[in-house]
Amino acid sequence: MAQETPTIEGMIQRKNVQILDGVASWEEAIRVAVTPLVEDGYVEERYISGIIENTHEMGPYYVLCPDLALLHARPEQGVIKQQLALTVLRHPVRFKPEGPDVRVLVTLAAVDADSHIEAMKRLAVLFSSPANITGIAEAADADEAYRLFVGAPASA
Amino acid sequence: MKDIRKIMCACGSGLGSSLLVEMNIQDVLAKLGIDGVEVTHSTTSDVRPGAADLFVVGRDLADFIKEVDDDQKVVLTNIVDKDELEQKLREKLDL
Repeated sequence: MAQETPTIEGMIQRKNVQILDGVASWEEAIRVAVTPLVEDGYVEERYISGIIENTHEMGPYYVLCPDLALLHARPEQGVIKQQLALTVLRHPVRFKPEGPDVRVLVTLAAVDADSHIEAMKRLAVLFSSPANITGIAEAADADEAYRLFVGAPASA
Repeated sequence: MKDIRKIMCACGSGLGSSLLVEMNIQDVLAKLGIDGVEVTHSTTSDVRPGAADLFVVGRDLADFIKEVDDDQKVVLTNIVDKDELEQKLREKLDL
C-alpha cells in the first residue's frame, strides 16, 4: 500500500519544537527529544530505549555532523505514525566522550524506508550547510527554531 | 571512468542517514553529469560484496561492512558534507 509522503510542514508540529537548557547525559538527551512524540502517540515509549540500545550496539549512528543528531530507530522498534520533533539544547551534549558537541536534536519516527522522503529532501538541504544548523542551535526561541526548520532556504 | 552501475548507501536503520546520503549522491552525480547509476538505501545487514558496485557508509558503521574491499566502499566522516562526498566519489569513479 502506498504510504503518505508528507512535506516537512506535514511532519512536524510547532508544539513539538522545544528549547532546553541542557541535559545530564546522552541517554537523557534521547529521552527528552523523543518524549513529545511519545506523548502525542506517534511512537511507543520503547522507541526511547530502542535508540539507547541501538547506540550501545552501533555507536551514535545518528550524529550526522558536529552539532546535529537525527535520532531514530527502526520502524519496528515502536513507531506508530511518521513524525518529527526538534529539540535545541543551549548546552551541548556528547553522545560519545570524544564528541562532537551536539545542540540540535531532530527526532525522526519513520514507518518504512521511503514514506518520509519529502521531509528528508528538506532536511538534506537544511543539513548541507553548517550555518543552517548553527542558526537553529542559536535561535532566539522555539518559534524561530521552528521557522528555520520548516522554512529553511535552499541556500544559506 | 570506472564502471559503477549501482551504489548502495547503508546505515543501521536503513531510513535515516542512508536516505540523506542517497539524495546527496543523486545531486553529486547530476552535478558531475553522470547518469545511469542506480542509487539505493538500505541497512548495513544488506551490505555484501556483489550487492552493489559501491557501498557508502558513515564512519561509525565502517566496522559493520568490513567484508567489502576498500576499493568498493566510501566511508564518510561527515554524513551531510557534499564536498567530502563528491571528492570521495570522484576517487572511486576515477574521474
